[in-house]
Amino acid sequence: MAIAPAVANRPHRLARKRTRQAVLVWCFLAPSLAVFLLYRIIPLLWNVVLSFAAWSPLRPMRWAGLDQYEEMLHDDVFWQSLWNTLIFIASAPVGIVIALGLALLVSSDIRGRDVYRTVIFISYPLMTVAVAIIWRWLFDERVGLINYVARSLDLVDRPIQFLNSFVWALPSVIVANIWQMLGFYMIILLTGLQNIPPNLYEAAAIDGANAPRRFWRVTLPLLKPSLFLCFVIGMLNSFTSFDLVYVMTGGGPGRATELLVTYIYKLGFSQTRFDYAASVTIVFFVLLVGITWAANRLSGGNAGAVEKD
Amino acid sequence: MYRYPRWPIHLALVGVSLLMLIPFYWVLKTSVTGENIFAYPPSILPKSPHPFYYVDVWYYIPFARYFLNSVVVSAIAVIANVVFNAMAGYALTRDFPAKPFVLLLFLSCMMVPFQATIIPAYLITGRLGLLDSYWGLALPQFSTIVCIFVFKASFDAVPRSLIDAARIDGLSEWRIIWRVMMPLAKGAIATNVILAFIWSWNNFLWPLIVTRSADMQTLPLGLARFLSYQEDTTGALYAFCIMVLAPGILLFLLAQNEFIRGLTSGATKG
Repeated sequence: MAIAPAVANRPHRLARKRTRQAVLVWCFLAPSLAVFLLYRIIPLLWNVVLSFAAWSPLRPMRWAGLDQYEEMLHDDVFWQSLWNTLIFIASAPVGIVIALGLALLVSSDIRGRDVYRTVIFISYPLMTVAVAIIWRWLFDERVGLINYVARSLDLVDRPIQFLNSFVWALPSVIVANIWQMLGFYMIILLTGLQNIPPNLYEAAAIDGANAPRRFWRVTLPLLKPSLFLCFVIGMLNSFTSFDLVYVMTGGGPGRATELLVTYIYKLGFSQTRFDYAASVTIVFFVLLVGITWAANRLSGGNAGAVEKD
Repeated sequence: MYRYPRWPIHLALVGVSLLMLIPFYWVLKTSVTGENIFAYPPSILPKSPHPFYYVDVWYYIPFARYFLNSVVVSAIAVIANVVFNAMAGYALTRDFPAKPFVLLLFLSCMMVPFQATIIPAYLITGRLGLLDSYWGLALPQFSTIVCIFVFKASFDAVPRSLIDAARIDGLSEWRIIWRVMMPLAKGAIATNVILAFIWSWNNFLWPLIVTRSADMQTLPLGLARFLSYQEDTTGALYAFCIMVLAPGILLFLLAQNEFIRGLTSGATKG
């Protein structure tokens, strides 16, 4: 073999270096890609297939076309849970508005603001199952604190069966959800407030803008990305909520608090109707993508989607 | 400019703080007295508190077992999560032909919430033979996209010249990762550990689907199961609740800043 001149050797070494780098990159990506493939992409495709098929673990798969989507059209429980989910989503802005007020208060230069921040935030990282049990207890009909206070103040003459009432069950769960999410919204908004340059306020004050004007003209426009972020996260959180409803009411009374996710869970794991559960999942997923996309369009592409498993 | 009275602000914030704390107090009170389970009107202050409900928890349910299961599953999930995310984040700082495709793939995976995968995820875990096992419980949490991007941002912030200098000094790729990159990514590691731990520790839906035997149940499952057996008839339920919440609250108070940084950095990365 002829000895290759040094110049010819160079691209060869470069190529080898590039191959080594490619091997490194793909080896490093492989575990994460495998996990996402296994638990995100394949399940999504599998759901699509199942949604068009009639199948249960003991029966062979059969093509069912749009049968299950047609069934969904006539399925009152599906419509009820869709409606409940939408109400649940619509409640997110309420929490965000409260959190905005709190963030403005906490960001003022008062003493003990870190303590307030911690206390308000503390409910967010807690186990939702325990939070649900706490709120079951507060809403309890006989000895719950809320009924006790309401009766002491003569707001009601008979105790309200919050979690057993068709009217009150969903609002009760929503209150518990807002209670848990409040601190999270506040933290995001606080970060947004801190990123507003203080000299803008000074300039506005010199120009004669009073406090409400400064809020509407300076704070709110500059806080828009954070607000949209809160909205997207709050919406996704409501949309995918399961633990709170499952433990507080189990979807009841009747189907008064059934959400899409609890319905999917029940279809799959109590009724073993995996195929129909998959069709509902597809509708659920398409709605989720649609709403997130719409929110992103509204915000001008500012709000990123963030998951919280 | 800032000469307005402070007390209304304090009043409002104290009011909200009470709203956040009273639920804990109510449950804590029930767990040491049990008195307002049957009594009306409920008393505001605990009368003759006793620790017996906490003792009951040990006899009614295998608390230690649930706790151990939660610890093992969380430990597996956190370690795998941090290692895999760091690797993927590091890979994404490099240029390679398929990079835009991989980024797109990750971003679109982010749009798939876990709740939309439960049926096939259960079937897949079944095929893998991992139902009702620690590995099956932890596997879906082995990697999270948000944290991959946290690592990527952290690695991207390392100056290029530093890496080149290390390379000229003859450090191998592995040594650069261990000696240069990892120490500079401590913040990202802390963030990821805390987020992964909270996600895994609090997770309810997946253990509910995957576990069959009582031996494999984690704390949230044990809590929900205890509720369905006992309803609200015993203070032990609330003692159990407090025992489950206490470690989480403690950890949060200790690592609050890392946790908040993790949430806000994860949230703004998008």
